[in-house]
Amino acid sequence: MLIEQSAYANRWRRVSPAAKAAFALCGFIGAFVAGTPSAAVAVAGLLAVVTMAGAGVSPGRYLRVAVPALFFLSISCLSLAFSLDFKGEAQAMTFKLTPAGLQQVADVSARSLAALAALLFLVLTTPLIDLIALLRRLKTPELLLEMMVLCYRMLFVFSAAVHDTLTAQSARLGYATTGLALRSLGGLAASLTLQIWQRAHDLHVAAQARNNDGPLRFLEPRFANCGRDGALAAASGGALITLAVWLS
Amino acid sequence: MMLLELEQASYRYPNGGVGLEACSLAIRRGSRNALIGANGSGKTTLFQHCNGLLRPQSGVLRYAGTVLDYSRSGLRQLRSKVGLVFQNPDHQLFSASVQEDVSFGPFNLGLDEATVRRRVSAALDAVGMAGFAERAVHNLSFGQKKRVCIAGVLAMEPELLVLDEPMAGLDHAMKTEFLAVLDGLHAQGITLLLATHDIDLAYRWADYIHLIDSGVCTASLPAADLAYRDDALSALGLPLPTVVELQRRLTARGLLPKGLLPRTHSELLTLLDNTYDGKEAPCC
Repeated sequence: MLIEQSAYANRWRRVSPAAKAAFALCGFIGAFVAGTPSAAVAVAGLLAVVTMAGAGVSPGRYLRVAVPALFFLSISCLSLAFSLDFKGEAQAMTFKLTPAGLQQVADVSARSLAALAALLFLVLTTPLIDLIALLRRLKTPELLLEMMVLCYRMLFVFSAAVHDTLTAQSARLGYATTGLALRSLGGLAASLTLQIWQRAHDLHVAAQARNNDGPLRFLEPRFANCGRDGALAAASGGALITLAVWLS
Repeated sequence: MMLLELEQASYRYPNGGVGLEACSLAIRRGSRNALIGANGSGKTTLFQHCNGLLRPQSGVLRYAGTVLDYSRSGLRQLRSKVGLVFQNPDHQLFSASVQEDVSFGPFNLGLDEATVRRRVSAALDAVGMAGFAERAVHNLSFGQKKRVCIAGVLAMEPELLVLDEPMAGLDHAMKTEFLAVLDGLHAQGITLLLATHDIDLAYRWADYIHLIDSGVCTASLPAADLAYRDDALSALGLPLPTVVELQRRLTARGLLPKGLLPRTHSELLTLLDNTYDGKEAPCC
């Protein structure tokens, strides 16, 4: 929801999604061409600054969205930094921190940070509906896009259904004890399974009612100044890659 | 002239439940129709027959005087003329954005993009949602979703718009706005058929009222005649419209002249004002 709110409420909502995707792609390239951890961190920092200062995404929201990804990144870094060692007659298990491991952690984590910042720039400034339209223009297979559209829509329908069912269960003390909570969760899962089947059928009927008997076709949003936005994105993306190379 | 006619249509669901039982219904072109019946009386089943989603196991459906051909092309033709708006908007809306969803029907008609854009814009205008074209569907309120559902069907430029309990879940202000939207569509020449439980709404809004019970259309009458059909209403467990009860009581007490049939409370109040303009009402 945080991502969704930001994607709709940022200053660059009306900027062409193709331009934003191009800039994000340059960010990814910058992350990979950065030869040193400091260069990759600089790329990450720049992308974060562009997202917050340029698109107007608040630092608090940015951090809240980034935290889960950073958590997984830190877990991965820990497993890279320490290596297992079995020593002595007792074959006692020890963890070892090696300089080579630390260097590897610095390289991988800095690059991942830059790639994460590029991805966050794209998702926090561009609603998924614009991205799907962009993917359609890029000739992504129609079946994949239809599944994306339906999954995206269903995500919100089911989150509302889960919320309603949880509220109804809680109102009748469904989660008062651990045992009851487990029972209620089972009920929730069963109810959702039935709802998924029912909703799928309802959507099929609704599509038929509007004369659908084949692919799902929709109108794509239009953006003014696509050329200007694209040129700006290409220039700034190019500058970002150059900076990453220069700092390496 | 009759636009849609269902003649002696019967339908049973696979589980044996009765959907329709020798049900006959006729909708006049350009009219406003309300279908009234209790929950489970067959309203939704009847509407799904109107759109060709269900096929009667006996009986026929006629559209503009022609018996419906249930072939693929026959159904395409019917569904391009009869738009069905479902009761729950979340069952109908499945695109991510408002504009996308409204464009779904016109694209299914095989129209080119320019025409679809024009129709989408006109349909959103007609329901007062022009400023929401690029909004995500899940960010809309319930009432707004209902409007988008109507726009999605309007963009197909139907002749008959069938609405399954459109007022369910709407507050008073939303209902008023919604009725204004429906009146606007009627003024454009679209025939309207809606299902409702609200007898007062049906009496004040519709030209014709159709009653349904246990899959049988028990009565079809001009709305003005409803005031004399206590029997038909009580057979369905429905009360008389409040304004009719009030008018009867006022007439019986000599407070209103006989023969006046207001359809709304504001009409009744105007009648009272006109009757006692400058005079004192007799004491009860």
